[in-house]
Amino acid sequence: MSIRREMPGGPSALERGLTELGVPCRVESRAGLAVLITTPDVAARLGEAELRRQALALAREHGFTHVAIELRSDADAKHTPDASLPGA
Amino acid sequence: MQAPHADADTSVKASTRLEEWLRARGRVAIGFSGGVDSAYLAVEAVRTLGPINVLAIIGRSASYPADQWAAARSVAEAFGVPVLELDTQELDDPRYAANPSNRCYFCKAELWSKLVPEAHGRGFHTVIDGTNADDLIDYRPGAQAAREQSIESPLALLGFSKAEIRERSRALGIPTWAQPSSPCLSSRLPYGIAVTPERLGMVERAERALRELGIGGDLRVRHHADLARVELAPGLLAEWLTADGMRSIARAVRGAGFARVTLDLRGFRSGSLNVLHGVSAA
Repeated sequence: MSIRREMPGGPSALERGLTELGVPCRVESRAGLAVLITTPDVAARLGEAELRRQALALAREHGFTHVAIELRSDADAKHTPDASLPGA
Repeated sequence: MQAPHADADTSVKASTRLEEWLRARGRVAIGFSGGVDSAYLAVEAVRTLGPINVLAIIGRSASYPADQWAAARSVAEAFGVPVLELDTQELDDPRYAANPSNRCYFCKAELWSKLVPEAHGRGFHTVIDGTNADDLIDYRPGAQAAREQSIESPLALLGFSKAEIRERSRALGIPTWAQPSSPCLSSRLPYGIAVTPERLGMVERAERALRELGIGGDLRVRHHADLARVELAPGLLAEWLTADGMRSIARAVRGAGFARVTLDLRGFRSGSLNVLHGVSAA
């Protein structure tokens, strides 16, 4: 019997992990930098130190040395409904 | 800023050694940026040797923040440090402008190639800089250029840590004691992104706008082409990761010319771009 196991790494895997953490977002990969794109409400959750620490640890597991959240204008946020985010 | 974590007695002994070192040289010219280290060194030199035997030389270019220049002039005026200003043209050197990982080497080579002859011509045969003992651990390609021009680094030589320099600066009333470290603006551009006056201007305007919001402590706006990545002191992240805080930061940084604005979730770390490029460990 063969077992298919997805190796950790990359933006898609990080997106799934972050969604499980309660941070649904899209991840844009720029070499070692992961840019998290999400709604202002979800972004504000990362003000909590423990959630931030977990998100950073997860990103590190997936090969990212830096994680930044995009600060979107009100206009940007209106054009990206929550439904476009994974797990939303 | 909290008081620096250095033993006061140890710092006094270190400063005595520095006075002895300076007296043995008689006259010194200092590469003077107005940062914590060179400001302390310049003040100690004037206290020890008198202003006639000291010349603090500022190298000015687009990579040198205007606020830093103002701080340098302010310290010099308050403590009677004689200052000479020279223009440097590191941005005209394609080896620098291409922004390789040893970019600092070409900047410092340009600085010292202008500064040293000027100092010697004025009778200052010892030229020193503010490199400290902590700097020796970090990746600093500019140090090679200093060695090539026989620049001496008494703070590093005598084992001064950054904390000790802050402690002594505070004791002497030098306002830079609490000033965050402020390397040149080019340090905000990832290696390989060309250094241009326009990009440096964007970074400088963005950081100034963020300071005007009341953001203190360590702060960097890293320039990733269309995207700015803001690094705040980690202790400030919770305060600014709010709807209002994020909106204010985004507005301030967009106003400086960035199309997209991001906030780093780990916060400020010295040499952050070295980590991103694998030049130093995460």
